[in-house]
Amino acid sequence: MSNLDHGKFTRVTTLFHSLLGLDVFLLFFTGYAIMFNDELWWMLTLMGGASGVTAIHRITGIGLIALVVFWITLQIISSTGRSNFSKILPAKDDIDAFIQDIQFVLGRADERHPSARQFAGYKADEVPLLSYIGKGVVFIFSIELTLLAISGLLIWSKTGLAAMFQTKAAAMAFVTFHGLLGVIMLMGVMFHIFEHGMHPAFYPVETKAFIPRSMVPEHHGDDEEPDTTGIERLSLSPSWRTVSTIFGAMTVIGIVSVLIGSIFDEGYPVPRELAIGGGPASILLTIGINLGMIVLGVGLVLSMYGNVLRIRWEQQLEEEREPPAAADGGEPQTDGGQPNTDDAASEN
Amino acid sequence: MTDRDDLPEVNGYSRVSVLISTVVGLVVAGLALFWAQGFRIGYESLYRVNPSVEGGGIGSDWVFGNTIPALDFLIALIHAADVILGAFILVMVFIHWAAFQRLADQMREPGEDVSEAVAADGGSPNSGDRQGGDGA
Repeated sequence: MSNLDHGKFTRVTTLFHSLLGLDVFLLFFTGYAIMFNDELWWMLTLMGGASGVTAIHRITGIGLIALVVFWITLQIISSTGRSNFSKILPAKDDIDAFIQDIQFVLGRADERHPSARQFAGYKADEVPLLSYIGKGVVFIFSIELTLLAISGLLIWSKTGLAAMFQTKAAAMAFVTFHGLLGVIMLMGVMFHIFEHGMHPAFYPVETKAFIPRSMVPEHHGDDEEPDTTGIERLSLSPSWRTVSTIFGAMTVIGIVSVLIGSIFDEGYPVPRELAIGGGPASILLTIGINLGMIVLGVGLVLSMYGNVLRIRWEQQLEEEREPPAAADGGEPQTDGGQPNTDDAASEN
Repeated sequence: MTDRDDLPEVNGYSRVSVLISTVVGLVVAGLALFWAQGFRIGYESLYRVNPSVEGGGIGSDWVFGNTIPALDFLIALIHAADVILGAFILVMVFIHWAAFQRLADQMREPGEDVSEAVAADGGSPNSGDRQGGDGA
């Protein structure tokens, strides 16, 4: 018997992740269409101009608050949530995993640390609930979402905002602050999409975030005790090298461009210091920021695709679990990857 | 589903906790909306001639720019955080990119003999179109 790679997400977590992703993508598209309006003018127009964009941003903003509060409450009131608290705290293993990742890249380690491993394969039981990147994502995104929600509420109403500050320019400076805060998350999400879309064993999307653990058999039928994760037994997708190179480049260009854009093109309609339309609104920056938005768009598509795969997985599982109809007297359909009932019973 | 023997027992979230959390989430979001709406004040009270500001008058606030030093500091702080974390995220992208290249090198090349290969999804190894669904 050996373990099969499986995710850690429950059904509720997969659903929450998809909804949060959709909401955050919409907030990014609308928010940065405003902040980077020089570069993303088409996005602003496409979503109904300034009024359309701000309306969508507000609606999804309230959606974000509902989702975040839902998740915090669930983690506090459920025993499953409470039992996970200790598992998200940073530990020495996380630092070791980061160092070993660097060594792995330099060829000084043969495999990634269990706390870094995305493809766990036969060694799935060694892998903790969250990798070191997973913990970073949880911490940074939690802090970001909280600060963004609070600052977002404070700038909800234009007149209320103006009343809080001495001058209109100061009010706009606070709006700028809100936008700059989101840049960290914007860059982080681009990396998140690359990390979980371009892993060679999971390409084009890591289904572990979409197919709940309860639907994935954990054991494989053979008896050998493998020494490796078993990745050497997988075939690389023919398009992986080309697509991962292009997408990796797009991710890097996107991150660099929004970072540069956030420094030079920070304010709307008036920047912190009065230099209207300031900054290098060059063609390169325009292309770069648009590439970043395409990376986000790919993430949105992959998230939807992950859900399509879950539905297909559910249907396939359902078909295989039905009592063998065998109207033709033949064998019921079997699948090489699914252990039969007897095997599983003896393993458990 | 008639038979789930080979599927794991998972400690999921109970329906009650999900329901309570949903209600709390929606109520808090509703209250937040109500609170934010309360910021609205009449246009009448805004931006009248403002003699207390030096050289004050209608529109003079645009000329003076941001007059709150704390905000300037906050923005500078966030700029720094953006740059530092941006650089860190870029390092992470490069580490993963390189790690993925090494992992890909450990895998079988497309078209290589796959008689002993297993699919990542535990499905049939010979039907390449079922691996990760990237049949194209």
